[in-house]
Amino acid sequence: MEQIIANGLYLGAQYALIALGLTLIFSLMNVLNFAHGQMYVLGGFVTYTVVSQFGLPFIVGLLASAAILAAVGAAIEKFLFAPVIKKSKREESTMLLAAGIAFFLDAVILLVFGEKQRGVPKILNGVLNWDFRIIMPYDRILIGVLAIAMIAGFILFMQYTKAGRAMRALAQDRMAAELMGVDVKRYSMIGFALGAMLAGLVGGLLVTITGINLGMGGPTSIKAFMMIMIGGAGVISGAIAGGFILGMMESIGLTLLAAYGDITYLVIFASLMIFLAIRPQGLMGKPWG
Amino acid sequence: MNTNRLIGVGAFLIAVFVIVPLLIATSGRWDFYYTLTSVALLAIASAGVWLTFYIGRINIGQGAYALAGGYVSAILVTKAGFNFWVTLPLAGLFCAGLAVLIGLPILRLRGVYFAMVTLVLTEVGRLSALALPVTNGAKGITSIPLPGELSIFGLTLIPDFATLQNPKLAFYLAAVFLMVACYAALYRIVNSRLGHLCRSLQQNEELSASIGVNTAYLRVLTYSISSFFGGIAGAMFVAISQSIYPSSFQVADSVNFMLNCFLGGLGYVFGPMLGTLMLYFGWDLLFTTGRYQLLIYSSLLIILMLVLPNGVLSLFERKGGRK
Amino acid sequence: MTPILQVRGVTKRFGGLTANNDISFDVAEGEILSVIGPNGAGKSTLFKLIASFLKTTSGEVLFRGNRISNLAPHKVAQMGVVRTFQETTIFRSMTVRENIIVAHHLRSKASLLGFFLGTAQARADETEFGASADDIIEFLGMEAIRDELASNLPQGHLRALGMAIGLATNPTVLLLDEPFAGMNHDETMRMVSLVRRLRDERGVTVLLVEHDMPAVMKISDRIVVINFGEKIAEGTPAEIQSNEKVIEAYLGSEDAAIGM
Ligand SMILES: Nc1ncnc2c1ncn2[C@@H]1O[C@H](COP(=O)(O)OP(=O)(O)O)[C@@H](O)[C@H]1O
Ligand SMILES: [Mg+2]
Repeated sequence: MEQIIANGLYLGAQYALIALGLTLIFSLMNVLNFAHGQMYVLGGFVTYTVVSQFGLPFIVGLLASAAILAAVGAAIEKFLFAPVIKKSKREESTMLLAAGIAFFLDAVILLVFGEKQRGVPKILNGVLNWDFRIIMPYDRILIGVLAIAMIAGFILFMQYTKAGRAMRALAQDRMAAELMGVDVKRYSMIGFALGAMLAGLVGGLLVTITGINLGMGGPTSIKAFMMIMIGGAGVISGAIAGGFILGMMESIGLTLLAAYGDITYLVIFASLMIFLAIRPQGLMGKPWG
Repeated sequence: MNTNRLIGVGAFLIAVFVIVPLLIATSGRWDFYYTLTSVALLAIASAGVWLTFYIGRINIGQGAYALAGGYVSAILVTKAGFNFWVTLPLAGLFCAGLAVLIGLPILRLRGVYFAMVTLVLTEVGRLSALALPVTNGAKGITSIPLPGELSIFGLTLIPDFATLQNPKLAFYLAAVFLMVACYAALYRIVNSRLGHLCRSLQQNEELSASIGVNTAYLRVLTYSISSFFGGIAGAMFVAISQSIYPSSFQVADSVNFMLNCFLGGLGYVFGPMLGTLMLYFGWDLLFTTGRYQLLIYSSLLIILMLVLPNGVLSLFERKGGRK
Repeated sequence: MTPILQVRGVTKRFGGLTANNDISFDVAEGEILSVIGPNGAGKSTLFKLIASFLKTTSGEVLFRGNRISNLAPHKVAQMGVVRTFQETTIFRSMTVRENIIVAHHLRSKASLLGFFLGTAQARADETEFGASADDIIEFLGMEAIRDELASNLPQGHLRALGMAIGLATNPTVLLLDEPFAGMNHDETMRMVSLVRRLRDERGVTVLLVEHDMPAVMKISDRIVVINFGEKIAEGTPAEIQSNEKVIEAYLGSEDAAIGM
């Protein structure tokens, strides 16, 4: 039991970080970022390159992932999304653009990093064993704690900095924010960069545990979509809740349902459908439609 | 139907049923049959996606239904000894029924929410195929026999494909026939009251309800027709490749179905067919670029979105143009 | 004679806000009844409750003695209670005629499958809808814009189209939410006489929400006044004009002067 909760928390923290980035982008520009999983993978590969190829410390890799992904995010927003949003008549357009970008990032990752699974050496050795009730390697604990710290950092940033407040205003009501004098263009770009950076950071964190490969992008995006549907799209608390709920469900499912084969996600999806039938806006989302 | 349209349809039928086979026979490029057969079948699945667009829903879940249809046919043929031609409509009906169950809750969602949930559905389809005992997991179902003879009262309607000299041609003809039938049905749907009601739903669901349209029913009906198309396309595909795996239809396929519709134009019944042809051939042509194929393909897509964010056929859009 | 529509103690809360509080009144068959009140008083909410686009918190609405509140909205429309919208809503990318034809849905005798197959009944239906749409177009004097795309129409025509859509459903009770908004004086007076004819010639019972007081006084048989979600008065135009409470709460306030 304790083991399931510990695993769930560890997974949930990673998931929440991914969902936070996705939901931030969604709330600021109403864009469903299909490429979010690819950004995560790219972040993993950057850390891998810095740590395993260049032999630099893990923290440098993590910072490099954050910086590069933020730059990639900012560029994608400025040169791709902003112009398309301006010209397009339907919301499908940005979705297709996002799909195109997902394919593009996949292609780039394939060309630059190849198809192989990559990992970095363990950053911490040893395993915590609490009475055989919780068994967890120290590196997982460290990564989990780092992820939670980042979530806290993100919340503080959104609450207390000028940029954070501007973005929250933007997410609430674009028009009103513009009237209040928020530089919409600038903060859309910053928000996108921040969202991409979060995805990259999680990639950098998880490459130390699970490694990284090209095929992880799509499934990661899909998990992120599930999380924000659970929590309510565009809501920060919803993303965090969705992340931890999915992490917990996965952890429970993998333990309890193992006997029936790999049906965890089937069960999760079925529950999600029932849940959405009752509450289409998710846990924390605003009612709509 | 006016004469212009009749001539157009006649020309199309002659082209696909007579001219293409003649051209292929003279040029000896038999591999084209496979390409064109694939295009025809993918165009059927895309037609389904287009129909969901028509009620104002972005459907990225068609891969799940193609997969389900494929498995239904494969299982019925290999495990229960059914004739393939019987399993074809059964696969479609199975998917239509499944779509009712899934559609009831999810069709209440709109916009990106519906898109997200259908995308997840595709992935769940793959995971189910991996996990369920009847689908044989990652190994999939292989060595599926070719479609057998279909006869009614001793009259052979379709010969046994295994006995044919040229099953490629037979598959091509079958697939194109199916495609023509599906698009004819789609055309009728769109141009009958059902289509008008769908358009009313797309433009204003609330008003639609206030003129007495049972919107929930109409949405589910349309979605299940759309999934029927996905199911039969998947089943036919499996008959051709004689095998099916959990990865036979996945997220990328669902996204491509959506791209086909969008590229061809959402206002035109034949848009998805055109879009499928363009994307499939585009992808095939890029095959020669080897490892840069995906890079060039995705770059082209992105550029296309930058230049024509409202679809290729928006180039020809009249003011207030439709169909 | 039992009233055609009975609103009985209807209450609607949105979270903490009570938009309608225990509102009751009856509507007689063939009556033109206006609901007036300042902005935000809860008039549109009341119409949505009657047409069952919202669920009541408590209370009920009866149509010919049968409960219609909290049914699916299309069912209520099927029974003959049809609502038009305050925000002009039309099917934007259809022409005026197509808008009206599609709104004939309730009158179809053929099934959807019948329409798909193009059966004799379906074709007869289509012919009938076309003819009826042309009737409505003529009735509302919209011949000139028959084949115009709805999204290209100016505000005044949009209102008329909204009404045409409502008419096409062959309603017994038609709820018009601000049908004259955005119209100039002449257009309004023309619509007033149209609403009259609707009742006189077609026997439609009309409920309307309007801010244009001269028009309301002219057109209504009776008026219901609501303020802050409560009914504060009910009576003939003459009674309402001399009602102290109304004058105080509504007609006398500055809101009335600016017409809201
Ligand atoms: N869906 C809703 N959710 C929350 N509050 C609402 C909703 N619809 C209306 N209201 C509130 O109910 C009150 C009455 O609104 P409404 O019926 O539109 O007024 P009126 O039509 O008389 O101007 C307003 O304060 C409005 O903000
Ligand atoms: Mg109102």
